[in-house]
Amino acid sequence: MSARLVSLLIAILVLAALPWLLPTPYWRGILVLCAMNVLLALSLNLVLGYTGQLNLGQSAFFAIGAYVSTILVKTYAWNFWLASLAAVAAAGLLGLALAAFAVRLRGHYLAIASLGFAVITYQVLVNWEKVTEGVRGIYGILPPVASTTGLFYLVAGITLVVYVLIDNLMRSPVGDTLRAIREDEVSAASLGVNGALWKAFAFGLGAAIAGLAGCFYPGFVGTLVPDAFNIIESFTMMAMVIVGGMGTMIGPVIGAIVLTFLPEVLRDFGEFRLMIYGLALTLVVLFMPGGIVQAWRTLLRSR
Amino acid sequence: MMFLKAENISKSFGGVRAVQNVSLEVPENSIFALIGPNGAGKSTLLNLLSGIYQPDAGQLTFQEKNLIGLPAHRRVRLGLARTFQKIRLFKQLTLLENVRAGFHIHQDAPFWKNLLHGNSGSFRDEAHELLEFVGLESLAGERAGALPYGKQRLLEIARALATRPRLFMLDEPAAGLNGSEVDFLLDRLIQIAGRGITLVVVEHNMDLVMNVAQRVFVMDHGEQLFEGAPREVQANPRVIEAYLGGEFQ
Repeated sequence: MSARLVSLLIAILVLAALPWLLPTPYWRGILVLCAMNVLLALSLNLVLGYTGQLNLGQSAFFAIGAYVSTILVKTYAWNFWLASLAAVAAAGLLGLALAAFAVRLRGHYLAIASLGFAVITYQVLVNWEKVTEGVRGIYGILPPVASTTGLFYLVAGITLVVYVLIDNLMRSPVGDTLRAIREDEVSAASLGVNGALWKAFAFGLGAAIAGLAGCFYPGFVGTLVPDAFNIIESFTMMAMVIVGGMGTMIGPVIGAIVLTFLPEVLRDFGEFRLMIYGLALTLVVLFMPGGIVQAWRTLLRSR
Repeated sequence: MMFLKAENISKSFGGVRAVQNVSLEVPENSIFALIGPNGAGKSTLLNLLSGIYQPDAGQLTFQEKNLIGLPAHRRVRLGLARTFQKIRLFKQLTLLENVRAGFHIHQDAPFWKNLLHGNSGSFRDEAHELLEFVGLESLAGERAGALPYGKQRLLEIARALATRPRLFMLDEPAAGLNGSEVDFLLDRLIQIAGRGITLVVVEHNMDLVMNVAQRVFVMDHGEQLFEGAPREVQANPRVIEAYLGGEFQ
Protein backbone atom coordinates (compact mmCIF):
# COMPACT_ATOMS: atom_id res chain seq x y z
CA MET A 1 0.00 0.00 0.00
CA SER A 2 1.36 3.39 -0.94
CA ALA A 3 2.00 6.07 1.67
CA ARG A 4 -0.68 8.20 0.03
CA LEU A 5 -3.31 5.49 0.41
CA VAL A 6 -2.35 4.98 4.06
CA SER A 7 -2.66 8.74 4.73
CA LEU A 8 -6.04 8.74 3.01
CA LEU A 9 -7.33 5.87 5.16
CA ILE A 10 -6.08 7.56 8.32
CA ALA A 11 -7.78 10.80 7.26
CA ILE A 12 -11.08 8.94 6.69
CA LEU A 13 -10.84 7.27 10.10
CA VAL A 14 -10.05 10.55 11.89
CA LEU A 15 -12.92 12.32 10.12
CA ALA A 16 -15.29 9.48 11.01
CA ALA A 17 -14.24 9.61 14.67
CA LEU A 18 -14.27 13.40 15.10
CA PRO A 19 -18.01 13.89 15.86
CA TRP A 20 -17.70 11.26 18.60
CA LEU A 21 -14.62 12.91 20.09
CA LEU A 22 -16.47 16.23 20.20
CA PRO A 23 -19.93 15.06 21.22
CA THR A 24 -21.71 18.36 22.02
CA PRO A 25 -23.89 19.98 19.33
CA TYR A 26 -21.85 23.16 19.71
CA TRP A 27 -18.53 21.51 18.91
CA ARG A 28 -20.07 19.48 16.10
CA GLY A 29 -21.20 22.77 14.60
CA ILE A 30 -17.62 24.04 14.82
CA LEU A 31 -16.55 20.89 12.98
CA VAL A 32 -18.87 21.69 10.08
CA LEU A 33 -17.53 25.24 9.99
CA CYS A 34 -14.01 23.88 10.06
CA ALA A 35 -14.64 21.56 7.09
CA MET A 36 -16.04 24.52 5.14
CA ASN A 37 -13.03 26.65 6.05
CA VAL A 38 -10.67 23.90 4.89
CA LEU A 39 -12.49 23.83 1.54
CA LEU A 40 -12.18 27.62 1.27
CA ALA A 41 -8.49 27.56 2.20
CA LEU A 42 -7.88 24.86 -0.44
CA SER A 43 -9.63 27.00 -3.05
CA LEU A 44 -7.54 30.08 -2.27
CA ASN A 45 -4.32 28.08 -2.03
CA LEU A 46 -4.77 26.98 -5.63
CA VAL A 47 -4.72 30.61 -6.73
CA LEU A 48 -2.43 32.20 -4.13
CA GLY A 49 -0.16 29.33 -3.12
CA TYR A 50 0.34 27.44 -6.36
CA THR A 51 -0.14 30.10 -9.02
CA GLY A 52 1.11 33.10 -7.04
CA GLN A 53 -1.87 35.39 -7.61
CA LEU A 54 -2.67 37.72 -4.72
CA ASN A 55 -6.44 37.27 -4.88
CA LEU A 56 -8.43 39.09 -2.20
CA GLY A 57 -11.82 38.45 -3.79
CA GLN A 58 -12.35 34.88 -2.72
CA SER A 59 -15.18 35.82 -0.30
CA ALA A 60 -17.21 36.98 -3.32
CA PHE A 61 -17.16 33.50 -4.88
CA PHE A 62 -18.11 31.99 -1.52
CA ALA A 63 -21.05 34.43 -1.48
CA ILE A 64 -22.10 33.61 -5.04
CA GLY A 65 -22.16 29.90 -4.23
CA ALA A 66 -24.29 30.57 -1.15
CA TYR A 67 -26.77 32.97 -2.76
CA VAL A 68 -27.22 31.22 -6.10
CA SER A 69 -27.83 27.81 -4.49
CA THR A 70 -30.18 29.23 -1.84
CA ILE A 71 -32.22 31.36 -4.23
CA LEU A 72 -32.62 28.48 -6.66
CA VAL A 73 -33.86 26.23 -3.86
CA LYS A 74 -36.05 28.79 -2.05
CA THR A 75 -37.50 30.81 -4.93
CA TYR A 76 -37.45 28.34 -7.80
CA ALA A 77 -37.86 25.13 -5.75
CA TRP A 78 -34.84 23.46 -7.31
CA ASN A 79 -33.38 20.28 -5.88
CA PHE A 80 -30.46 21.15 -3.55
CA TRP A 81 -27.87 19.20 -5.56
CA LEU A 82 -28.95 20.61 -8.89
CA ALA A 83 -28.96 24.10 -7.39
CA SER A 84 -25.47 23.50 -5.99
CA LEU A 85 -24.22 22.38 -9.37
CA ALA A 86 -25.56 25.58 -10.90
CA ALA A 87 -24.07 27.65 -8.08
CA VAL A 88 -20.62 26.09 -8.53
CA ALA A 89 -20.83 26.73 -12.27
CA ALA A 90 -21.91 30.33 -11.66
CA ALA A 91 -19.03 30.97 -9.26
CA GLY A 92 -16.55 29.32 -11.64
CA LEU A 93 -17.76 31.28 -14.67
CA LEU A 94 -17.69 34.55 -12.76
CA GLY A 95 -14.18 33.64 -11.63
CA LEU A 96 -13.18 33.14 -15.26
CA ALA A 97 -14.81 36.44 -16.22
CA LEU A 98 -12.89 38.28 -13.51
CA ALA A 99 -9.74 36.41 -14.48
CA ALA A 100 -10.02 37.78 -18.02
CA PHE A 101 -9.07 41.14 -16.50
CA ALA A 102 -7.14 39.90 -13.49
CA VAL A 103 -4.53 37.91 -15.41
CA ARG A 104 -3.12 41.13 -16.83
CA LEU A 105 -2.51 42.37 -13.30
CA ARG A 106 0.18 41.38 -10.86
CA GLY A 107 0.89 41.67 -7.14
CA HIS A 108 -0.67 44.76 -5.55
CA TYR A 109 -2.70 45.65 -8.61
CA LEU A 110 -4.39 42.27 -8.67
CA ALA A 111 -4.95 42.49 -4.92
CA ILE A 112 -6.73 45.85 -5.29
CA ALA A 113 -8.79 44.74 -8.31
CA SER A 114 -9.92 41.51 -6.66
CA LEU A 115 -10.67 43.34 -3.41
CA GLY A 116 -12.77 45.75 -5.46
CA PHE A 117 -14.66 42.81 -6.90
CA ALA A 118 -15.41 41.53 -3.39
CA VAL A 119 -16.66 44.98 -2.33
CA ILE A 120 -18.90 45.25 -5.41
CA THR A 121 -20.32 41.77 -4.82
CA TYR A 122 -21.07 42.65 -1.21
CA GLN A 123 -22.83 45.86 -2.29
CA VAL A 124 -24.92 43.96 -4.85
CA LEU A 125 -25.99 41.52 -2.13
CA VAL A 126 -27.00 44.43 0.12
CA ASN A 127 -28.79 46.49 -2.51
CA TRP A 128 -30.38 44.06 -4.96
CA GLU A 129 -33.19 43.44 -2.49
CA LYS A 130 -35.65 41.99 -5.01
CA VAL A 131 -33.45 38.94 -5.37
CA THR A 132 -31.23 38.78 -2.29
CA GLU A 133 -33.59 40.33 0.33
CA GLY A 134 -30.70 42.69 1.14
CA VAL A 135 -29.76 43.14 4.79
CA ARG A 136 -33.09 41.65 5.88
CA GLY A 137 -31.68 38.32 4.81
CA ILE A 138 -33.18 35.02 3.74
CA TYR A 139 -34.56 32.85 6.55
CA GLY A 140 -35.52 29.26 7.18
CA ILE A 141 -32.94 27.66 4.95
CA LEU A 142 -32.74 23.91 5.39
CA PRO A 143 -29.48 21.97 5.24
CA PRO A 144 -29.22 19.08 2.74
CA VAL A 145 -29.05 16.65 5.67
CA ALA A 146 -30.87 17.23 8.94
CA SER A 147 -28.30 16.26 11.59
CA THR A 148 -25.16 18.29 12.29
CA THR A 149 -23.09 15.11 12.30
CA GLY A 150 -24.50 14.14 8.91
CA LEU A 151 -23.74 17.61 7.54
CA PHE A 152 -20.18 17.33 8.85
CA TYR A 153 -19.70 13.96 7.14
CA LEU A 154 -21.09 15.40 3.92
CA VAL A 155 -18.95 18.55 3.85
CA ALA A 156 -15.84 16.76 5.16
CA GLY A 157 -16.30 13.99 2.57
CA ILE A 158 -16.60 16.49 -0.28
CA THR A 159 -13.62 18.41 1.07
CA LEU A 160 -11.57 15.23 1.17
CA VAL A 161 -12.48 14.42 -2.44
CA VAL A 162 -11.56 17.96 -3.51
CA TYR A 163 -8.28 17.66 -1.59
CA VAL A 164 -7.35 14.41 -3.35
CA LEU A 165 -8.25 15.81 -6.79
CA ILE A 166 -6.23 19.01 -6.27
CA ASP A 167 -3.35 16.94 -4.90
CA ASN A 168 -3.45 14.78 -8.05
CA LEU A 169 -3.53 17.85 -10.24
CA MET A 170 -0.56 19.42 -8.44
CA ARG A 171 1.44 16.20 -8.88
CA SER A 172 0.63 16.19 -12.59
CA PRO A 173 2.21 18.36 -15.31
CA VAL A 174 -0.53 20.91 -14.60
CA GLY A 175 1.03 21.44 -11.15
CA ASP A 176 4.47 21.91 -12.72
CA THR A 177 3.00 24.53 -15.03
CA LEU A 178 1.20 26.49 -12.28
CA ARG A 179 4.26 26.49 -10.01
CA ALA A 180 6.41 27.61 -12.92
CA ILE A 181 4.10 30.59 -13.47
CA ARG A 182 4.25 31.44 -9.76
CA GLU A 183 8.05 31.35 -9.79
CA ASP A 184 8.65 33.34 -12.98
CA GLU A 185 6.05 34.02 -15.62
CA VAL A 186 8.49 35.29 -18.27
CA SER A 187 10.59 32.20 -17.83
CA ALA A 188 7.50 30.00 -18.05
CA ALA A 189 6.55 31.74 -21.32
CA SER A 190 10.01 30.90 -22.67
CA LEU A 191 9.01 27.25 -22.20
CA GLY A 192 5.77 27.70 -24.13
CA VAL A 193 3.45 28.29 -21.17
CA ASN A 194 0.50 30.59 -21.88
CA GLY A 195 0.56 32.32 -18.50
CA ALA A 196 -2.74 34.19 -18.92
CA LEU A 197 -4.61 31.01 -19.84
CA TRP A 198 -3.32 28.95 -16.93
CA LYS A 199 -3.76 31.73 -14.40
CA ALA A 200 -7.37 32.07 -15.55
CA PHE A 201 -7.77 28.30 -15.18
CA ALA A 202 -6.53 28.38 -11.57
CA PHE A 203 -8.63 31.45 -10.81
CA GLY A 204 -11.78 29.86 -12.23
CA LEU A 205 -11.22 26.53 -10.51
CA GLY A 206 -10.49 28.28 -7.20
CA ALA A 207 -13.68 30.33 -7.60
CA ALA A 208 -15.74 27.20 -8.33
CA ILE A 209 -14.43 25.45 -5.22
CA ALA A 210 -15.14 28.52 -3.06
CA GLY A 211 -18.64 28.49 -4.59
CA LEU A 212 -18.99 24.83 -3.60
CA ALA A 213 -18.17 25.72 0.01
CA GLY A 214 -20.80 28.44 -0.24
CA CYS A 215 -23.53 25.91 -1.08
CA PHE A 216 -23.33 24.35 2.38
CA TYR A 217 -23.04 27.50 4.45
CA PRO A 218 -26.65 28.81 4.34
CA GLY A 219 -28.21 25.48 5.30
CA PHE A 220 -25.79 25.16 8.19
CA VAL A 221 -26.55 28.62 9.61
CA GLY A 222 -30.22 28.61 8.56
CA THR A 223 -30.11 32.23 7.42
CA LEU A 224 -28.32 34.17 4.74
CA VAL A 225 -27.21 37.79 5.17
CA PRO A 226 -24.61 39.76 3.18
CA ASP A 227 -22.51 40.39 6.27
CA ALA A 228 -21.40 36.74 6.25
CA PHE A 229 -19.47 37.62 3.08
CA ASN A 230 -17.82 40.79 4.24
CA ILE A 231 -14.40 41.31 2.67
CA ILE A 232 -12.89 40.40 6.05
CA GLU A 233 -13.72 36.81 5.06
CA SER A 234 -11.20 37.08 2.20
CA PHE A 235 -8.51 38.09 4.67
CA THR A 236 -9.44 35.26 7.03
CA MET A 237 -9.02 32.77 4.16
CA MET A 238 -5.67 34.33 3.29
CA ALA A 239 -4.57 34.07 6.93
CA MET A 240 -5.48 30.36 6.92
CA VAL A 241 -3.42 29.73 3.79
CA ILE A 242 -0.41 31.75 5.02
CA VAL A 243 -0.43 30.49 8.63
CA GLY A 244 -0.60 26.89 7.43
CA GLY A 245 1.91 27.22 4.64
CA MET A 246 0.93 28.28 1.15
CA GLY A 247 1.91 26.27 -1.88
CA THR A 248 1.74 23.02 0.07
CA MET A 249 -1.29 20.72 0.13
CA ILE A 250 -1.53 20.12 3.86
CA GLY A 251 -0.60 23.68 4.94
CA PRO A 252 -3.93 25.38 4.26
CA VAL A 253 -5.74 22.45 5.90
CA ILE A 254 -3.73 22.96 9.09
CA GLY A 255 -4.14 26.74 8.84
CA ALA A 256 -7.92 26.42 8.50
CA ILE A 257 -8.15 24.02 11.45
CA VAL A 258 -5.95 26.19 13.68
CA LEU A 259 -7.74 29.43 12.84
CA THR A 260 -11.18 27.85 13.24
CA PHE A 261 -10.47 26.34 16.64
CA LEU A 262 -8.17 29.03 18.07
CA PRO A 263 -10.96 31.60 18.65
CA GLU A 264 -13.07 28.87 20.28
CA VAL A 265 -10.29 27.75 22.59
CA LEU A 266 -9.64 31.39 23.49
CA ARG A 267 -13.25 32.01 24.52
CA ASP A 268 -12.23 31.74 28.21
CA PHE A 269 -10.18 34.89 27.76
CA GLY A 270 -13.33 36.90 27.07
CA GLU A 271 -12.63 40.25 25.54
CA PHE A 272 -8.91 39.54 25.19
CA ARG A 273 -9.77 36.78 22.72
CA LEU A 274 -9.37 38.80 19.52
CA MET A 275 -6.24 40.45 20.83
CA ILE A 276 -4.57 37.08 21.44
CA TYR A 277 -5.81 35.84 18.07
CA GLY A 278 -4.30 38.84 16.30
CA LEU A 279 -1.06 38.57 18.23
CA ALA A 280 -0.72 34.86 17.38
CA LEU A 281 -1.31 35.66 13.72
CA THR A 282 1.34 38.39 13.73
CA LEU A 283 3.88 36.17 15.46
CA VAL A 284 3.37 33.34 12.98
CA VAL A 285 3.86 35.64 9.99
CA LEU A 286 6.93 37.25 11.61
CA PHE A 287 8.70 34.11 12.80
CA MET A 288 7.34 31.41 10.51
CA PRO A 289 7.23 33.05 7.08
CA GLY A 290 6.62 29.67 5.42
CA GLY A 291 3.80 28.87 7.81
CA ILE A 292 3.40 25.97 10.19
CA VAL A 293 4.35 23.37 7.55
CA GLN A 294 7.65 25.10 6.79
CA ALA A 295 8.45 25.54 10.49
CA TRP A 296 7.74 21.85 11.10
CA ARG A 297 10.02 20.80 8.24
CA THR A 298 12.81 23.05 9.50
CA LEU A 299 12.40 21.55 12.96
CA LEU A 300 12.65 18.01 11.58
CA ARG A 301 15.75 18.84 9.57
CA SER A 302 17.57 20.53 12.47
CA ARG A 303 17.20 17.46 14.71
CA MET B 1 14.86 28.68 -47.53
CA MET B 2 16.28 30.80 -44.76
CA PHE B 3 15.92 29.37 -41.25
CA LEU B 4 15.61 32.54 -39.20
CA LYS B 5 15.40 35.85 -40.98
CA ALA B 6 15.07 39.39 -39.63
CA GLU B 7 14.67 42.37 -41.93
CA ASN B 8 15.15 45.95 -40.75
CA ILE B 9 13.80 45.34 -37.28
CA SER B 10 13.84 48.24 -34.83
CA LYS B 11 12.91 48.72 -31.21
CA SER B 12 12.94 51.87 -29.11
CA PHE B 13 12.33 52.38 -25.40
CA GLY B 14 11.20 55.95 -24.86
CA GLY B 15 13.86 57.91 -26.72
CA VAL B 16 16.46 55.15 -26.65
CA ARG B 17 16.86 53.30 -29.92
CA ALA B 18 17.93 49.93 -28.59
CA VAL B 19 17.85 48.16 -31.96
CA GLN B 20 17.88 50.04 -35.27
CA ASN B 21 17.23 48.56 -38.71
CA VAL B 22 18.94 45.29 -37.98
CA SER B 23 18.78 42.57 -40.62
CA LEU B 24 20.20 39.12 -40.15
CA GLU B 25 19.91 35.64 -41.54
CA VAL B 26 20.71 32.59 -39.46
CA PRO B 27 21.30 29.46 -41.56
CA GLU B 28 20.05 26.09 -40.31
CA ASN B 29 22.54 23.83 -38.50
CA SER B 30 24.95 26.61 -37.68
CA ILE B 31 26.29 28.31 -34.60
CA PHE B 32 25.64 32.00 -34.93
CA ALA B 33 27.35 34.38 -32.48
CA LEU B 34 26.03 37.81 -31.59
CA ILE B 35 28.69 40.07 -30.11
CA GLY B 36 29.22 43.73 -29.29
CA PRO B 37 30.12 46.06 -26.42
CA ASN B 38 27.80 46.47 -23.42
CA GLY B 39 24.61 48.27 -24.36
CA ALA B 40 24.99 47.40 -28.04
CA GLY B 41 21.46 45.97 -28.15
CA LYS B 42 22.30 42.26 -28.26
CA SER B 43 19.92 41.24 -25.50
CA THR B 44 17.16 43.42 -26.91
CA LEU B 45 17.64 41.74 -30.28
CA LEU B 46 17.39 38.34 -28.63
CA ASN B 47 14.22 39.45 -26.83
CA LEU B 48 12.80 40.50 -30.19
CA LEU B 49 13.69 37.17 -31.77
CA SER B 50 12.22 35.16 -28.88
CA GLY B 51 9.07 37.26 -28.56
CA ILE B 52 9.60 38.86 -25.15
CA TYR B 53 9.38 42.17 -27.07
CA GLN B 54 7.63 42.94 -30.34
CA PRO B 55 9.57 45.13 -32.78
CA ASP B 56 8.33 48.65 -33.66
CA ALA B 57 9.08 47.96 -37.31
CA GLY B 58 10.53 45.27 -39.56
CA GLN B 59 9.94 41.69 -40.64
CA LEU B 60 10.74 38.53 -38.75
CA THR B 61 10.29 34.98 -40.04
CA PHE B 62 11.26 31.50 -38.85
CA GLN B 63 11.16 28.81 -41.53
CA GLU B 64 9.16 31.31 -43.57
CA LYS B 65 6.50 31.62 -40.85
CA ASN B 66 5.81 35.16 -39.77
CA LEU B 67 6.80 35.77 -36.14
CA ILE B 68 5.60 39.36 -35.84
CA GLY B 69 2.79 39.61 -33.29
CA LEU B 70 3.37 36.07 -32.09
CA PRO B 71 3.92 36.03 -28.29
CA ALA B 72 6.91 34.22 -26.78
CA HIS B 73 4.95 31.16 -25.66
CA ARG B 74 3.61 30.57 -29.18
CA ARG B 75 7.09 30.83 -30.71
CA VAL B 76 8.26 28.00 -28.45
CA ARG B 77 5.81 25.70 -30.22
CA LEU B 78 7.47 26.55 -33.55
CA GLY B 79 10.79 25.36 -32.12
CA LEU B 80 12.38 28.49 -30.63
CA ALA B 81 13.92 28.24 -27.16
CA ARG B 82 16.12 30.55 -25.14
CA THR B 83 18.03 31.17 -21.92
CA PHE B 84 18.36 34.48 -20.11
CA GLN B 85 21.33 36.72 -19.39
CA LYS B 86 20.09 37.25 -15.85
CA ILE B 87 19.30 33.65 -14.92
CA ARG B 88 15.57 33.03 -14.54
CA LEU B 89 15.15 29.64 -12.93
CA PHE B 90 12.16 28.50 -10.87
CA LYS B 91 14.22 28.96 -7.72
CA GLN B 92 11.91 27.33 -5.17
CA LEU B 93 11.47 24.23 -7.34
CA THR B 94 13.86 21.30 -7.59
CA LEU B 95 16.16 20.77 -10.55
CA LEU B 96 13.95 17.94 -11.76
CA GLU B 97 10.81 20.09 -11.47
CA ASN B 98 12.53 22.86 -13.43
CA VAL B 99 13.33 20.55 -16.31
CA ARG B 100 9.94 18.81 -16.12
CA ALA B 101 8.23 22.18 -16.56
CA GLY B 102 10.18 22.50 -19.81
CA PHE B 103 8.18 19.66 -21.36
CA HIS B 104 4.99 21.72 -21.10
CA ILE B 105 4.26 21.92 -24.83
CA HIS B 106 4.72 18.18 -25.25
CA GLN B 107 2.32 17.18 -22.47
CA ASP B 108 -0.68 15.48 -24.03
CA ALA B 109 -2.35 13.65 -21.12
CA PRO B 110 -6.04 14.58 -21.01
CA PHE B 111 -7.11 16.76 -18.10
CA TRP B 112 -9.22 14.07 -16.42
CA LYS B 113 -6.20 11.78 -16.29
CA ASN B 114 -4.17 14.44 -14.50
CA LEU B 115 -7.10 14.96 -12.13
CA LEU B 116 -7.60 11.27 -11.34
CA HIS B 117 -4.07 9.90 -11.50
CA GLY B 118 -1.70 12.84 -11.09
CA ASN B 119 0.81 11.29 -13.48
CA SER B 120 4.09 13.07 -12.90
CA GLY B 121 5.79 10.14 -14.61
CA SER B 122 5.57 11.56 -18.12
CA PHE B 123 8.95 12.71 -19.48
CA ARG B 124 10.59 11.73 -16.20
CA ASP B 125 13.28 9.68 -17.94
CA GLU B 126 13.93 12.36 -20.50
CA ALA B 127 14.18 14.99 -17.75
CA HIS B 128 16.78 12.87 -15.97
CA GLU B 129 18.68 12.42 -19.25
CA LEU B 130 18.81 16.18 -19.75
CA LEU B 131 20.11 16.67 -16.21
CA GLU B 132 22.68 13.98 -16.90
CA PHE B 133 23.67 15.79 -20.10
CA VAL B 134 24.53 18.99 -18.20
CA GLY B 135 26.14 17.03 -15.36
CA LEU B 136 23.52 17.80 -12.71
CA GLU B 137 21.80 14.43 -12.39
CA SER B 138 23.12 13.82 -8.87
CA LEU B 139 21.46 17.09 -7.72
CA ALA B 140 18.03 16.36 -9.24
CA GLY B 141 16.19 16.71 -5.93
CA GLU B 142 17.91 19.91 -4.81
CA ARG B 143 16.29 23.34 -4.89
CA ALA B 144 17.39 25.23 -8.01
CA GLY B 145 17.98 28.46 -6.07
CA ALA B 146 20.57 26.69 -3.89
CA LEU B 147 22.82 25.83 -6.86
CA PRO B 148 26.07 27.67 -7.44
CA TYR B 149 25.93 30.19 -10.26
CA GLY B 150 27.66 28.15 -12.94
CA LYS B 151 25.38 25.17 -12.39
CA GLN B 152 22.33 27.42 -12.55
CA ARG B 153 23.34 28.39 -16.09
CA LEU B 154 23.61 24.73 -17.06
CA LEU B 155 20.22 23.94 -15.52
CA GLU B 156 18.65 26.73 -17.55
CA ILE B 157 20.09 25.15 -20.68
CA ALA B 158 18.71 21.71 -19.75
CA ARG B 159 15.30 23.22 -19.05
CA ALA B 160 15.20 25.01 -22.42
CA LEU B 161 16.28 21.82 -24.23
CA ALA B 162 13.22 20.09 -22.76
CA THR B 163 11.10 22.09 -25.21
CA ARG B 164 12.98 20.21 -27.98
CA PRO B 165 13.97 23.34 -29.87
CA ARG B 166 15.13 23.66 -33.48
CA LEU B 167 16.63 27.07 -32.80
CA PHE B 168 18.21 27.67 -29.41
CA MET B 169 19.15 31.20 -28.34
CA LEU B 170 21.52 31.65 -25.41
CA ASP B 171 22.09 35.03 -23.79
CA GLU B 172 25.66 35.12 -22.44
CA PRO B 173 25.82 31.48 -21.32
CA ALA B 174 29.45 31.80 -20.22
CA ALA B 175 28.99 34.93 -18.09
CA GLY B 176 30.26 34.32 -14.57
CA LEU B 177 31.67 30.87 -15.32
CA ASN B 178 35.21 29.84 -14.44
CA GLY B 179 37.67 28.31 -16.90
CA SER B 180 36.72 24.66 -16.52
CA GLU B 181 33.03 25.53 -16.54
CA VAL B 182 33.48 27.42 -19.82
CA ASP B 183 35.22 24.36 -21.32
CA PHE B 184 32.36 22.12 -20.25
CA LEU B 185 29.81 24.60 -21.64
CA LEU B 186 31.68 24.75 -24.96
CA ASP B 187 31.65 20.99 -25.21
CA ARG B 188 27.92 20.85 -24.46
CA LEU B 189 27.11 23.57 -27.00
CA ILE B 190 28.99 21.67 -29.70
CA GLN B 191 27.07 18.51 -28.76
CA ILE B 192 23.75 20.37 -28.90
CA ALA B 193 24.63 21.73 -32.33
CA GLY B 194 25.61 18.17 -33.30
CA ARG B 195 22.03 17.10 -32.63
CA GLY B 196 20.86 19.39 -35.40
CA ILE B 197 19.85 22.31 -33.19
CA THR B 198 20.79 25.72 -34.57
CA LEU B 199 22.39 27.99 -31.97
CA VAL B 200 22.31 31.75 -31.64
CA VAL B 201 24.71 32.77 -28.88
CA VAL B 202 25.12 36.24 -27.39
CA GLU B 203 28.54 36.16 -25.84
CA HIS B 204 31.44 38.21 -24.53
CA ASN B 205 33.77 35.27 -24.14
CA MET B 206 35.96 35.47 -27.24
CA ASP B 207 37.32 31.93 -26.89
CA LEU B 208 33.80 30.68 -27.17
CA VAL B 209 32.89 32.93 -30.08
CA MET B 210 36.05 32.34 -32.10
CA ASN B 211 36.22 28.58 -31.53
CA VAL B 212 32.66 27.42 -32.04
CA ALA B 213 30.79 29.99 -34.13
CA GLN B 214 30.56 29.75 -37.90
CA ARG B 215 29.13 33.24 -38.30
CA VAL B 216 29.66 36.26 -36.10
CA PHE B 217 27.31 39.22 -36.08
CA VAL B 218 28.71 42.36 -34.46
CA MET B 219 26.45 45.08 -33.04
CA ASP B 220 27.22 48.52 -31.68
CA HIS B 221 24.80 51.28 -30.59
CA GLY B 222 21.82 49.20 -31.67
CA GLU B 223 23.07 48.80 -35.22
CA GLN B 224 24.78 46.14 -37.22
CA LEU B 225 28.50 46.84 -37.37
CA PHE B 226 29.79 43.82 -39.22
CA GLU B 227 28.98 40.23 -40.08
CA GLY B 228 31.35 37.51 -41.15
CA ALA B 229 33.41 34.48 -40.25
CA PRO B 230 35.26 34.66 -36.89
CA ARG B 231 38.65 35.37 -38.55
CA GLU B 232 37.23 38.25 -40.57
CA VAL B 233 35.75 39.76 -37.42
CA GLN B 234 39.07 39.65 -35.59
CA ALA B 235 40.74 41.50 -38.43
CA ASN B 236 38.06 44.13 -38.96
CA PRO B 237 39.22 47.61 -37.89
CA ARG B 238 35.70 48.86 -37.13
CA VAL B 239 35.10 45.98 -34.73
CA ILE B 240 38.43 46.60 -33.03
CA GLU B 241 37.58 50.26 -32.71
CA ALA B 242 34.18 49.53 -31.18
CA TYR B 243 35.72 47.23 -28.60
CA LEU B 244 39.00 49.00 -27.81
CA GLY B 245 38.30 52.61 -28.70
CA GLY B 246 39.80 54.68 -31.52
CA GLU B 247 42.96 55.78 -29.79
CA PHE B 248 44.59 52.38 -30.23
CA GLN B 249 44.76 52.75 -33.97
